[in-house]
Amino acid sequence: MSLAMETSPSQGNGDEKPSETVKIPDRLLKRDQARLEEAERRKDIKEGRSVTEEKSDFFSTTFNTERATIDELLSICTEANRENATKILEEATVKTQQLQKFLNDSMMFLTPYELRQAQATLQVLLSTISEKRDDILPKKKFAFKSRNVKSKPAESPSTSITELPKSASNRDTDADAAVTPVQCVFSNVDSQVLIKRADEIQQQDVLLTHLTNCKVRLLGSPSTLHIKHVRDCEIMSGPVSSSVFVDQCTGSTLAFPCQQLRTHNTKDTQIYLHVTSRAIIEDCQGVSFAPLTWTYSNMDADFAVSGLDKNRNNWDQVDDFNWLAFDTPSPNWTVIPVSDRKTSWDDLVPASSE
Amino acid sequence: MGLLTILKKMKHKEREMRLLMLGLDNAGKTTILKKFNGEDVSTISPTLGFNIKTLEHRGFKLNIWDVGGQKSLRSYWRNYFESTDGLVWVVDSADRLRLEDCRQELSALLTEERLAGATLLVFANKQDLPGSLSKEAIQEAMALDDIKTHHWCIIGCSAVTGENLLMGVDWLLDDIAARIFTTE
Repeated sequence: MSLAMETSPSQGNGDEKPSETVKIPDRLLKRDQARLEEAERRKDIKEGRSVTEEKSDFFSTTFNTERATIDELLSICTEANRENATKILEEATVKTQQLQKFLNDSMMFLTPYELRQAQATLQVLLSTISEKRDDILPKKKFAFKSRNVKSKPAESPSTSITELPKSASNRDTDADAAVTPVQCVFSNVDSQVLIKRADEIQQQDVLLTHLTNCKVRLLGSPSTLHIKHVRDCEIMSGPVSSSVFVDQCTGSTLAFPCQQLRTHNTKDTQIYLHVTSRAIIEDCQGVSFAPLTWTYSNMDADFAVSGLDKNRNNWDQVDDFNWLAFDTPSPNWTVIPVSDRKTSWDDLVPASSE
Repeated sequence: MGLLTILKKMKHKEREMRLLMLGLDNAGKTTILKKFNGEDVSTISPTLGFNIKTLEHRGFKLNIWDVGGQKSLRSYWRNYFESTDGLVWVVDSADRLRLEDCRQELSALLTEERLAGATLLVFANKQDLPGSLSKEAIQEAMALDDIKTHHWCIIGCSAVTGENLLMGVDWLLDDIAARIFTTE
């Protein structure tokens, strides 16, 4: 520095005054000082920011501890304590998912090797869990061949006033022949009254097919409802938790609360609806809608079971998938005029013989 | 360095995947998408058109396309085939009456040239319903064992409870990643 002081005048920056050249080193010094301080400051910040969670030993320790816990859970999960097995498996699954999340969150600061290792470990855990699940809680094997088995579930629900005709459960030679009944099926019935109560249909998936001139009352909350190949029927149901699927329905009256309604290939049918999201129609003609007016004694409780919002009803917001013009309304559906709406329904429930 | 390697490297840099979710109407495609994304599933309406979600999972950016499954919309599915890395086929395991329809639609899709390279994940959805068919039954009904043209996997799941959704998507990601990203 002192050298600079001495030499600077002789360097002959002609127009600069000597006093100014003497100041340069001072400024340099100051700048150097500032630079050092800045560096120190940055280092401090960096140290302050590097939290323990971002050290890879922390990751591997935590990961391995968690993994050991899950392994242990899986090892005590044997066929012997079947009742506990479900709970343990559930817990193991949740823990594995948490571990996956932890890995995802930690990805930023892991080396590719660690990442690969951890992912491989997780894969092993997942497959072990699913193996265990298959071993301990085997799902019922389904086979199309076992036709004779199915007559049992078809008959057992028919404890109400109408016995399904014996021939009905065996008559499956039509187009849907390859199909075995779901948990709750009512099919191939003509001119009868069918009443089903909560004990049979509560949170079950219900299927109604090939009904003609029938009156159906489902007094409970099905989890989902399929209505197919129905003609001249009056079908009412309690609150359906998820979707109702209607196909090939003609000249009928339907009434139910549901989350979604999908209507296909339906003609000249009135629908008294409570729908919390949307109703749609596709390939339909002459379908008319009105708000739900039908009710039964236990409906409020079933609303609670279904989880539907009783105060939200979008019955008149119908999307027609064959009519995508925004400005003109679809010709395929209408709103039933208030004066024409049915408000009283046949009280079939107490009737015991018809 | 071959052209393929260059392409793979480019893809790798993006770490981006395009997944196309199809299936018959009422199968639960939108519910799966929303559940996977952590959204409310109780207000979902039948899809008139399509939904797209971009989400990050395991460091990948997933573009998930959920196209409506109504009969009148199926002819538009083809518009979404281009550059699909993974096809998610969603089956309503409780809808036995339309399993044959479902099988036919899927087998038609698999002959599509533009989907030729895509990995196939079949979700046997609605396992929470008491009357639902097991994934083995769906596998048989869909004749999945006859598929030789695509990598495939079937997973029983429930979009409502979220069960197994993650497992399915993870399998799909692993399969796609092994195929299009170089391991370096």
